[in-house]
Amino acid sequence: MSTPPGYSLRHRLVWLLTGALAAIWLFAALIAYQRAHHEADEMLDTQLMQLAETLLAIVEGGDVKDFVKELHENGHAHTVPIAFEVWRERHHRMQRLVVSAGHSGFAAEIHAGFSEIAHRGERWRVYAVTGKDAEYRVVVGHAHAARERLAREIGFSVLAPGAVALPLMAFAVWWGVGRSLRPVDAAAREVAALDPQQLAPLDERAPLPSEIAPLRSALNALIGRVNAAFESERRFTADAAHELRTPLAALKVQAQVALRAQDDAGRQRALTQVTAGVDRMTHLVEQLLTLARVDPANAHPAATFVDPAETVATVCAELLPLARQHDQTLEAELAAGCRIAVNPGWLSIAVRNLVDNALRYAGAHARIVVSVVRVADDGPGVPADERARLTARFVRGESDSEGCGLGLSIVARIAALSHARLALGEGLPRADGGHGLAISLHFPSAG
Amino acid sequence: MRILLVEDDTLLGDGLQAGLAQSGFTVDWVRDGEAAVAALAAEGFAALVLDLGLPKRDGLSVLRWLRERRDATPVLILTARDRVEDKVQGLDLGADDYVLKPFDLDEVAARLRALVRRAHGRPEPLLTLGTIELNPAARTVTCGGQGVELTGREFDLLHVLMQNAERVLTRRALEEQLYSWNDAVDSNALEVHIHHLRRKLGSEFIRTVRGVGYMATVQPAGA
Repeated sequence: MSTPPGYSLRHRLVWLLTGALAAIWLFAALIAYQRAHHEADEMLDTQLMQLAETLLAIVEGGDVKDFVKELHENGHAHTVPIAFEVWRERHHRMQRLVVSAGHSGFAAEIHAGFSEIAHRGERWRVYAVTGKDAEYRVVVGHAHAARERLAREIGFSVLAPGAVALPLMAFAVWWGVGRSLRPVDAAAREVAALDPQQLAPLDERAPLPSEIAPLRSALNALIGRVNAAFESERRFTADAAHELRTPLAALKVQAQVALRAQDDAGRQRALTQVTAGVDRMTHLVEQLLTLARVDPANAHPAATFVDPAETVATVCAELLPLARQHDQTLEAELAAGCRIAVNPGWLSIAVRNLVDNALRYAGAHARIVVSVVRVADDGPGVPADERARLTARFVRGESDSEGCGLGLSIVARIAALSHARLALGEGLPRADGGHGLAISLHFPSAG
Repeated sequence: MRILLVEDDTLLGDGLQAGLAQSGFTVDWVRDGEAAVAALAAEGFAALVLDLGLPKRDGLSVLRWLRERRDATPVLILTARDRVEDKVQGLDLGADDYVLKPFDLDEVAARLRALVRRAHGRPEPLLTLGTIELNPAARTVTCGGQGVELTGREFDLLHVLMQNAERVLTRRALEEQLYSWNDAVDSNALEVHIHHLRRKLGSEFIRTVRGVGYMATVQPAGA
């Protein structure tokens, strides 16, 4: 199966989530590292201060020699090697008293508190404290590089679990996304398994995440509409075939009557009926073909604007002789100048069917008034509750025995495809107070 | 035999009326369900030929109405619908037979004769009364083996009388069976036809029941 251009939701989710998690983790790690570093600094500073105070106390107590000896032996136990010196003031001069082993002594005099100094090409952090009466001064210091090494070690030790956790998190994201998307795969398989000949809606009761459920509902609605359209077409074919049977039966019966007729007059009459039957079947077949030709693809030919008044006038002119035959009055009330977007052939078919219907059903001596686009007559009319039914296929008016019941269906289909509204209402007033029928087509841009 | 034809299609109705008349039926033709119900309520018919898709009241509804009032008139349905369900529904509602459009006129006539025959409880196609034998399909009559020439009306009258042998038929019932609405009926036409039948077939087999009507019989007059 080839994958259409697009992207995998799974890949995108895995990458986005892992990326976001990694970024957050990095940020957190940076902060953790800095904090650890800072804590290590503070710890070492505290160590320096404590050592300085202790040394000062010992020096002032007078046990300087013993302490220095002991410190020499144990001094290397410290993580960070410590250098110290003890000064004593005599006769207003500072004099270095003791210096830690391996320490050459800081060059300059160092004032009290913490300070950063350079010593033999290295940076040192030193702390100086002065005893009471300013007699003794103790200076302790760490080489910066050693402190830094320790702080870094502590910092990295904080990061280590995170480094292991990150790949685990990525795996968890991949697994979680895959698992969450499983219903999508299942839904896709269900849709793929649909039989186009027999579209059954997907089971709405099967649990589905709320994100995909609307897709299923929409799909089911589509399946419903497609099925309805299929069913409608199927029924139409069946109806059409049935509708052909009655005129065929009439033809056969009339032909048999003609064959069995004993006298010429009877035979003549039956043969005339056969001819009429053939005419009627021709009409039915033509109407069926018209209905088939009204294809949605031709609804709006590129930039065709039609003046409906012209179409109405043409159709009326063509049907006038028929009206005269029935002793009917056919009038056109036309205001030119309006333009509508419609397939001109369709408009002609629709108007012709409407006028033809009026001529057919309004009865002899009826008056029919055609305007843009409305056909009104003063015939028997149609009760309001039956009007809607008339547009159905193969439904004929009460008084009809000749029509095939497709005329208004064709008009309705053209109206639907042209986004026009087909309305059936009261027509012209009759002498007896009733009204005939009026059928109008409202096109969206008709002015 | 007088039958009622219910068909809304002008050409088909016209053809059936003419064709069934050629086959010897007296046909009354109505074009919608309401008119069919009115006709059936007013008069008796030997059979009903019923289209299903009718204006005002559809054929199945007419059929249901007919059977609900316990009217056993044989019904032949004409329909364009050939689905089994349609047929089953029609037959279940009390139709006796079914013909799918387009049909053969001779077949419709034969089925109608069979329906009427069975409605009178006779399995065999020939009607016999004593030495008289009547063939409804061929519209021929023999008396003692000899062919007898009858006019259409005489044949129909004899047919009705023999279908109802040994029963008294009123003048009105006979006229209903013989004449369609379009026929102008002479007040003494029935007597004239009876007279002709007696002359051609022998006078004893049609008995006049005074003040009531006529009866075809083989019983001796005094019995």
